[in-house]
Amino acid sequence: MSGSLKIKLTLLDNIIWLMLFLFFFACALGIPAFASWNNIVNILYHTTIMSMLVLAQGFVLLNGNFDLSIDAVLAFAPGVVILASTKWFPVALGNPYLAILLTLLLGGCIGFFNGYCVAKLGMNAFMQTLSLSIILRGMVLFLIPLSIFPLDPVYSFIGKARFSAVGNLPAAIPVTFTIYFLFHILLRHTVFGRNYLATGGNARASFVAGIDTSKMVITGFVIAGLLSAVAGMLTAGRQDSVSNTMGNGMTLLAFAGALLGGTSMSGGKGSAFGMLGGAILLGMFSNALNLLGVKVTLIHAAQGALIFVAILTDRFRISLRARLLRNEQLQKLKVAKG
Amino acid sequence: MEEVCSKPVLLLEGISKVYPGTVALENIHFEALPGEVHGLIGKNGAGKSTLVGILSGLVEPTSGTIMVNGRSFSSFSRSRAKREGISIVPQEPEIVLDLSVAENLFLGELENCSGFVSWSKIRADAQRILDRFGLDIGADLQARDLSLSERQILLILKACVVEDANVVVLDEASASLSRNDAAILKRIVGELRESGKAVLYISHHIDELLDICDRLTVLRDGRIVTTRTKNMLDHHSLAELIVGETLSSSGPERKEAGYIGEELLRLENLTRWGNFCNISFSLKKGEILGIAGLRGSGRTELLKAISGIEPADAGKIFFKDKRVSFSTPSEAIRMGVAYLPEDRETEGLIQTFSIRENLLLNSISRFSRNGFVLRREAGRRAEEIFAGVQIQAFSMEQSAEELSGGNKQKVVIGRIMANAPEVYLLDEPTRGVDIGAKRSILSIIHGPLRAASGVLLTSPGLDDLMDICDRILVLYKGNMVREYQQKDFDEKSLFMDVQGFGYQDQRGGDECRAV
Repeated sequence: MSGSLKIKLTLLDNIIWLMLFLFFFACALGIPAFASWNNIVNILYHTTIMSMLVLAQGFVLLNGNFDLSIDAVLAFAPGVVILASTKWFPVALGNPYLAILLTLLLGGCIGFFNGYCVAKLGMNAFMQTLSLSIILRGMVLFLIPLSIFPLDPVYSFIGKARFSAVGNLPAAIPVTFTIYFLFHILLRHTVFGRNYLATGGNARASFVAGIDTSKMVITGFVIAGLLSAVAGMLTAGRQDSVSNTMGNGMTLLAFAGALLGGTSMSGGKGSAFGMLGGAILLGMFSNALNLLGVKVTLIHAAQGALIFVAILTDRFRISLRARLLRNEQLQKLKVAKG
Repeated sequence: MEEVCSKPVLLLEGISKVYPGTVALENIHFEALPGEVHGLIGKNGAGKSTLVGILSGLVEPTSGTIMVNGRSFSSFSRSRAKREGISIVPQEPEIVLDLSVAENLFLGELENCSGFVSWSKIRADAQRILDRFGLDIGADLQARDLSLSERQILLILKACVVEDANVVVLDEASASLSRNDAAILKRIVGELRESGKAVLYISHHIDELLDICDRLTVLRDGRIVTTRTKNMLDHHSLAELIVGETLSSSGPERKEAGYIGEELLRLENLTRWGNFCNISFSLKKGEILGIAGLRGSGRTELLKAISGIEPADAGKIFFKDKRVSFSTPSEAIRMGVAYLPEDRETEGLIQTFSIRENLLLNSISRFSRNGFVLRREAGRRAEEIFAGVQIQAFSMEQSAEELSGGNKQKVVIGRIMANAPEVYLLDEPTRGVDIGAKRSILSIIHGPLRAASGVLLTSPGLDDLMDICDRILVLYKGNMVREYQQKDFDEKSLFMDVQGFGYQDQRGGDECRAV
């Protein structure tokens, strides 16, 4: 394979980062104060919650499944734990570290329930997670008054704390980047990660090749639950409270972020690196429109348009890739003949 | 009338199709005249399915033109093919299981009575067609309740009678037909010929082609060898044209039987109700044991049962004299029993993965420490196998879906080799691959695979089995008919056993499948 072809293919495979940089430079030229340290930190800070959900959704997508319950888990897990630790059993569960642990545990358990129903009982992932999402949302509205505040500073640390030593950097940003880095390693360099992607690419072939595919599916949902719980703690920390509306409607945007990042809807294809790009582009896009003074409601519609562009780009990318490879093949044949 | 007849309805001019790594069709010139049944034959991988794909608009030719009804096209789509009056009957009957027989028959052709469907008319028309050809099927029956053969004949009727096409392509349509339905097919084809339609008849059976067709075109390695009228051909000359050289040397050079060692695998009365029953044999190290049988003889199910994918109901499996019963493929793989699936697309490959990743799929945990992949060692092993099975690709990073059939199969074989298993269960490793790939796959089996292990092998072609096996077992409808030693190999006798001649009367039918 020729060198220039390799470069072209690499660029095509990382097209989200190309789009991100182009968009960034365009905005930096056109919008004053866009490229300032404060605004960049602002963009990243506002992206952290969505990033967690994009990773959760993307991770399940890699396995060839969906999870519609992630934004409900985002509200339910911290909501119920805070309720329990402040109202129901303030003595036994008052410890904030315990509360963090319980939030993660609850998220993981919900994910396990989803995964068990899909992998072992053969339920359709769409239906299963949709029904659970409605149940959890309903329970949140039933249990939690408008909001519970304030929270223990330990609990709200990852969502709220800022490091004054490094330009007032919010703790959420390094936390998010670290988690993404860990998932990059997990997917690329571990046996689990490769088997997990293989299951998404072709579950039947993976089963025949000796991979425990139901374990892979269940683990995928557990991890999505855990990440949604982290997203919930980030949200709770930022607003220093838990409320019954938090995270509402974010699930579908999380799909968008994952798709923008090059994740395949049919599984087996995608990377943590790409998903991060997708999440940041979503955040940067709404930030730019914000700075331009576009109304909040219209920003939502514009994000929809961005998703459309993403899908279009993806189709374009796939056909371009095929054409490049075909040309290379034809050239090779010509050389062989002549 | 005479003038119309001499003008072809379908004309292919200089059609080529290039896939990465292979040339599937090269400069094909082909014509079909009205009122003729034109047979198309060639070995697996000769290019038949690509040609059908191009005619049906599913495969885009790399170059060349297609002329239909005097108009020429450089590319062809599914809807264009239909509009130009080309109907295709595919190999696997694809019907809508939840619709009635009548609606399946008229699917896409539902007559429009100001926007509404006239059910009574459709039902009556369908029943009339079914009755005309003597089919004992009710038009109201759900398609799900039909047998495989009835489903296929339904599709044939749809293409030949309902769609009123000028050109009908029957792609191995007779393969899943019962004896009775095959006679109906012959009648349908005869009617098409009389009404001046062109029929393209693709089959693996020489007898059938010589019986039904007017002219025959032989394909070999993506090229047309010859087109001749039937009376210029007989069994022997046709067979020679298909194979391309003297019949005896189509495989790798037959070597002396290698060292045969201790017993690895032993089956005692293994039974899976409805698929096969009372199968017993033993496999030794360094031995290649072939299993011959038609589709539905239980050969695939037998291999799947041993490998734990669809476990058996009764009987015993011994691996190195130890009783085993694998209930999942991962248990079998851990013990050293590797299975190569029949369908590489759905069961063999992760299409989105690169060649390297596919090669390492089974063995990746061997090249890891604490759950982390040791990239360098894994990469070295992958490279070793990549070179060993001679995959033709730009690099190992190319994704598997871009490869040709033969190279895909080599990737799957390489994948199961990577684990160095002791028993290989190979289900049709040469199915649908080109002749070059087939040869190298057979020599891999005959060389490195058998050197270190025992091999159980099935194949669509008897000649493959005869070329490399030490023994051949013949299955017919789930029963073991006969075991051949290498010195007794005889294609004709094997062929008779595979077709079940003499067996049915002797045993009084198929007790194993009756459950």
